[in-house]
Amino acid sequence: MEKVGIVGFNQVKMYSDANYGRYEMIFEAVRGALDKSGLKKKDITTVISCTNDYYDGRTISNLFTVEVGGGYLADESKCEMDGAHAVLYGLMRILSGNHKLAVIWSGSMPSCYPYHSTRLYETDPTWERPLGYVNDITAGGFQMRAYMEKFGVSKEEIAKVAVKNRKNAAKNPLALAEAQNANITVEDVLNSEIYSDPVTELMVAQPCDSIAAILLAPERQALKITDNPVWITGVGYSQEAYYLGERDLSISKSMEIAGKTAFTTAGIKDPKNEIDVAELFEAYAHEELILAEALGLADKGKAANLNSEINGDLAINPSGGAIGGNPPCATGLIRIIEAAKQLRGEANGYQVKGAKKAIASGQIGMCAQNNILFTLEGSD
Amino acid sequence: MSKLTQRKSLDYIKKDYVRTRTMPGSWYLSSYKFRFNITHHQPMLEKLKEKKLIANQCSGCNRVFFPPRLVCGQCLVKPDRWVDIRDTARVATYAIAYLKNPDTGQVEEKPMILVQHDGADTCSIAELAPGINVKDTYIGMPIKAHWKENATGGLMDIEYYDPIPDDAKDIE
Amino acid sequence: MGRQVAIVSAGFCEHSSKRSDVNMPELVNEAIRDCLKKVPSLGISDIDAFVTGNMPAFEGANMPELWSTDWMGARNKPLLRVTTGGTTGGTVAIAGYYNVTAGLPGIDTVLAIAYEQQSQGDTSVGLASTAYGEISILNTLGIDYDSLSRILSAGAAIGVAAYQATNYMSKARITEEDLARVVVHNRRMAAKNWWAHLRMPDLTIEEVLDTPYVQYPLRYGMLCPASDGACAMLFTTEEKAKDMCDIPVYVNGVASVANESAVLGYDGSGSAQTDPSAQIGAMRSSELAYSQAGISFPRKEIDYAEVYSPFPNQELMWLEKLGLFEETTAPQMYENGTTALDGDLPVNCSGGVNSTNAIGASAMERPAVAALQIMGKADNQVPKTVHTSIGHGWGGSLNLCTLMVMSDEPKRKWR
Repeated sequence: MEKVGIVGFNQVKMYSDANYGRYEMIFEAVRGALDKSGLKKKDITTVISCTNDYYDGRTISNLFTVEVGGGYLADESKCEMDGAHAVLYGLMRILSGNHKLAVIWSGSMPSCYPYHSTRLYETDPTWERPLGYVNDITAGGFQMRAYMEKFGVSKEEIAKVAVKNRKNAAKNPLALAEAQNANITVEDVLNSEIYSDPVTELMVAQPCDSIAAILLAPERQALKITDNPVWITGVGYSQEAYYLGERDLSISKSMEIAGKTAFTTAGIKDPKNEIDVAELFEAYAHEELILAEALGLADKGKAANLNSEINGDLAINPSGGAIGGNPPCATGLIRIIEAAKQLRGEANGYQVKGAKKAIASGQIGMCAQNNILFTLEGSD
Repeated sequence: MSKLTQRKSLDYIKKDYVRTRTMPGSWYLSSYKFRFNITHHQPMLEKLKEKKLIANQCSGCNRVFFPPRLVCGQCLVKPDRWVDIRDTARVATYAIAYLKNPDTGQVEEKPMILVQHDGADTCSIAELAPGINVKDTYIGMPIKAHWKENATGGLMDIEYYDPIPDDAKDIE
Repeated sequence: MGRQVAIVSAGFCEHSSKRSDVNMPELVNEAIRDCLKKVPSLGISDIDAFVTGNMPAFEGANMPELWSTDWMGARNKPLLRVTTGGTTGGTVAIAGYYNVTAGLPGIDTVLAIAYEQQSQGDTSVGLASTAYGEISILNTLGIDYDSLSRILSAGAAIGVAAYQATNYMSKARITEEDLARVVVHNRRMAAKNWWAHLRMPDLTIEEVLDTPYVQYPLRYGMLCPASDGACAMLFTTEEKAKDMCDIPVYVNGVASVANESAVLGYDGSGSAQTDPSAQIGAMRSSELAYSQAGISFPRKEIDYAEVYSPFPNQELMWLEKLGLFEETTAPQMYENGTTALDGDLPVNCSGGVNSTNAIGASAMERPAVAALQIMGKADNQVPKTVHTSIGHGWGGSLNLCTLMVMSDEPKRKWR
């Protein structure tokens, strides 16, 4: 795979109830990304947006965003999954040689709609939805229970992940204010409101409002645009079975496949030692452990023992991860942005020292049914 | 039954399929709060109270937007100038809707037009004055805004558009 | 640089207004089976990646690709979903092309699937919801709901098309009879196509003109139906394609240029598309795609065209905007038989969207049929040899446009 460079990015601060209009927010993200990298509207050749019709309350959610997203008379398209999948589509467009600069923006405003009842529309309309007991949160409960039972992991160990991510988020100025808490303890997490036993409120990535944008360019153009582009060296994505009953929820098979493909492409043989930073999209605290194990960053059931603090053996989610703010559709894209920040040394306050190689993941579906993994490399 | 509402369907080769189980359900979201930024509309709404029209203009491409726009898509910048535009306009395009009058139950022909104000580069959706013969509508027809007596500062201050004499010389 | 991409097969399921015998994933499966049946050397396990898309708000299933996983055979395989409204099908086909051309490791053969089962949901509510946000903004700015409901009735797809139709008719100076002629062309073609929806072998112009207006100048008989249906296309690399079929169809140019929305702009602002039939987006798309494919004289080099035309005036307009006919001359071409099955430039021999419209799938059926015409396997095959063909799609508020240029020869590597 030829190298593709991330030449610019921008993210609007996450708010639980943003005082923004929809188009204003998109414009701020895209315009900011162009301004930060010194580019103009005319340089854009393709725009990929990532929004969801259900999250935007309208059919054809990219219809009115053409102008504010920079897509006017550009090759425009929309990917309706996670922002990381939109980056993948942008990457394919760049690799085709047809395009010189791709803008990918994604995000939504869950303060406008009931997020968790929207997720109910992902369930099978014939068998699951009429009963109404399966939604994203109960599915998260199934998954956490399956993981705990199979590997004998305790609630406290999972709560520690939420504590770590919320403490990290406190150092990230763009993270959601409600999620930032530098003094949180394991007891706080376990004693918070039960969402779906054993999942408690503080273990859930809270949906919030934000839009993020990223710019991709082929190797030659990337070097002209910036001195320190971040290279995308590999990507893998996969989807597993739909019905929860057909899957082993304690592991993530799709992430295993995605990780294998991405690491082979990037030539990473020993992910545990070669990777410096991992930005994983964990919709729940336990998913960070499951995904880390699927990627081979830890042995099965042992991810909780890994020192994943910012200055630990392998920093996972130094930005606070999805628990630090989860704008639907944008979270995967923000993971890539945060990983790129680490590689460029721009993560003030939560910088991992000497980060050379990073991974960033995105997911959609109940219990992370479809996973995508990017491997990124800094330019030294 | 009037001929306008009669649904005469054309025959085509049909095939019947086995009917299996269907699940009734609702699929739309019950509620959604649409958010938008209103600040860039305020100057226009203020001027509407004086029965005057203003539009914003992009300094990059000099296009004039009425109603005002947040962002000029061509230049990807915020328009930053305000210009006066006239209350005369042209019919940019039209279509005739067939709508049932709720009072009489009769189907009425109603031309829906897109108007382009003189001095503006964008067109917006509007209505023609009631009682106008639909057959008289044509593209490029000059019209003039009909103001409400007491303007309150909203788009409804322009009730509808009156046709005015077309003084353009016919080329043919 | 990207790899050369080839289409080796395309499949359809039977289209009808109510496919009550299947649910959505089963419908998808039908099209995939038809697609793979045409390539005996290939099984579902040989597919490396999937691209799919539909308009999710029409069926009440969010992210339906998750549900359809096993019916598509996508378990433990890469899958990407792209949706862009009316152009969804075209976008999916284009994403299929990009999937192969990008050359990501291990991804050579890609199955692209687009589908729609409109009978499951309420399409008119779905379509109206496109503009709810903007309309509610107009309400805040002072327009009352009574007038808004009137605007709304003129604001859905048909309304947008009616504005476009009046514009085109006044420009080209044509009558409704010319529109009806296009409808008759499409519906009679559809009669020879097993999967088409409105198959009317004996339709006449008088019959079409006898139906009432839905919105002037469009009559009831001129409108597209609402169908249930699915379409699948198989993309692979040049090398692999040669083993899979006799005449692989090479994708030489793709474009999906977006313009700003017509009639109603974002935030309730107006639209700079003062002439909805001007279509700069479509013109830019054709310029881009033709330049990629190395086509300099579209009218001479293109042998077959499938355009996305739910309403007859659009078929005439798109043919002009895509550079196939001179401006305002398309109606004459229908009159003198240039676009007929045995004509110089056959158009929409599948019956087009005017006869079959499963919204999400429609824009993919266009390149699919155009590719099958090159292979010589189309259901209503044109008698002459087709070397180059185009498949087009539009969506949104007349602002999104997709175009795919295909040929039986790989593109000249002059770039």
